[in-house]
Amino acid sequence: MVFAVQISDLSKRYGSLTAIDHLQLEIPSGEFLGLLGPNGAGKSTLINCIVGLAKPTTGEVKVFGHSVRSEPLKAKSFMGFSPQEVNVERFFNLRRTLEFQGGFYGLSKARAKDRAQEMLEQFGLVEKAKEQFFRLSGGMRKRLLIARAMMGYPKLLILDEPTAGVDVAQRHELWKYLSHLNRDGTTIILTTHYIDEAQALCERVGIINHGRILELGSPAKLIDQYCESKIRVTIEGPMDLSEFRDFPKLSINGNEITMPTHSLGPTTERLMARLTEIPGRRVLDLNLHRGNLEEVFLRVTGKTMAQEADEPSETTVAKL
Amino acid sequence: MRGIPFQTLFLRECYRFLRLSRQTLFPPLLTTVLFILIFGYSLGSRIREVEGFSYILFILPGLAAMGTITNSYANTSTSLFMARMDYSIENMIASPLSHIQLVASFVLGGIMRGLIVGVLPLLISIPMVGLTVQNWPMVFVILALISIFFSSLGIISALWSEGWDNIATFTNFVITPFVYLGGVFYSVDMLPPFWKQVSLANPIFYLVDALRHAVLGVSDMSWAISLSILITLALGTFMFCVYLFWIGYKLVK
Repeated sequence: MVFAVQISDLSKRYGSLTAIDHLQLEIPSGEFLGLLGPNGAGKSTLINCIVGLAKPTTGEVKVFGHSVRSEPLKAKSFMGFSPQEVNVERFFNLRRTLEFQGGFYGLSKARAKDRAQEMLEQFGLVEKAKEQFFRLSGGMRKRLLIARAMMGYPKLLILDEPTAGVDVAQRHELWKYLSHLNRDGTTIILTTHYIDEAQALCERVGIINHGRILELGSPAKLIDQYCESKIRVTIEGPMDLSEFRDFPKLSINGNEITMPTHSLGPTTERLMARLTEIPGRRVLDLNLHRGNLEEVFLRVTGKTMAQEADEPSETTVAKL
Repeated sequence: MRGIPFQTLFLRECYRFLRLSRQTLFPPLLTTVLFILIFGYSLGSRIREVEGFSYILFILPGLAAMGTITNSYANTSTSLFMARMDYSIENMIASPLSHIQLVASFVLGGIMRGLIVGVLPLLISIPMVGLTVQNWPMVFVILALISIFFSSLGIISALWSEGWDNIATFTNFVITPFVYLGGVFYSVDMLPPFWKQVSLANPIFYLVDALRHAVLGVSDMSWAISLSILITLALGTFMFCVYLFWIGYKLVK
């Protein structure tokens, strides 16, 4: 198997603070990986170690087999990075910003120009091509960062909170674009505060806290592992628990039946058939409560994503 | 493909100072022209010849060196410090660019600006005060070496500084006094022995003296010594900058 990223025994300490603690992670080529974690968990530090903006205290990061420490140019040539904070030069307009970025990745002037036009169109920035970034709205700035990350045709795209501040319609447009890129073979690492984003896009999600990956798996697997999905049926008419003995874990509370299940399937169908067997009994409401990554996140870290969003971020704290 | 990233970095640096030419190029040129007017047409006639040249001709190489020094330093210190402040340096570090490429591109930007600000006053002086330059290739070499030295100092200053105050402090309290006491406006032979020794301890004296030799053909010291000192300073500070980038000083967390 070809790995886009191999991280072995990675630690990063800032004085007495351990930001990354002996972390191991392998990301196969072509995967879409999401990283979720409370602020200060080590997500940004991990990303900084991958892109070469932080020097690991111990351990190694390899990108497509090339060590970020000993072969940085080779390793970086595979990557495109969209950071959490805007880091665009204020002297240049959008088009020139993108063209220069293309040049950094070895694109000739003509190719960089074409690619910049393509990216401006892709991210809806053509009308702003002659503006400087500080005249853009927050959402546009985020799109510019992603466009810039895409300039070098990266095989590994790293997106740190790419949709923060982007409106819903554009967020969904971006999801489509990222899914398309991933289908075409681009490996993507994404950190996000939007659970629905991670759930919709990522093949695997890693939950990170205190510099360690606490859980790693597909959203479905993590939900199965941590959440109890259940079906709730509200009925009208006579009902006796004894007639449901063959449904394990089923409970009755007033006129509401609750049964744990991961999905609608044969068991649910059987239950519905049983409920409609007796004349005069009617199903009033049917509700499938499924677990989600939010619940997984809460169970693993003890915090909700909303709580996390309210706290100052790692980078903000660092800059203060 | 190999040369494109470096070429892009270099163009980016040049584009930056050319785009801001009203701040970066015209003021130093205007200052030099004012010096020529004041010392050439106003005060200059009251000052006796120095080493066989009218006073304005004698100080012209120093004025050119002064322009090159302040502008090459300002170019790299401002460009890199801005890049640190707006975090755009992080984008460059995360891109496949080597430390030498990064340092060399900043320095080359400083050389370009230093050469423009250093050579144009000399060209203007040809019709204005009848200057005859003795050795143009050597003028370019010396101005380029001066630019490397001060561009490198600009990089060191930009990395060390935590605010614009620090950049200005280095300019106001180190570069400016050293430049003015570096023989721009006088020959060391005109100084009392103690002050002559002080001037000889000032590295800028050798830069000005080497350039004066290339422009006028006269110098206080052997031009070979001055040139050797200049080459040592330029290469030493450049390599130190590469080392700072290599260890990621204030660039990599």
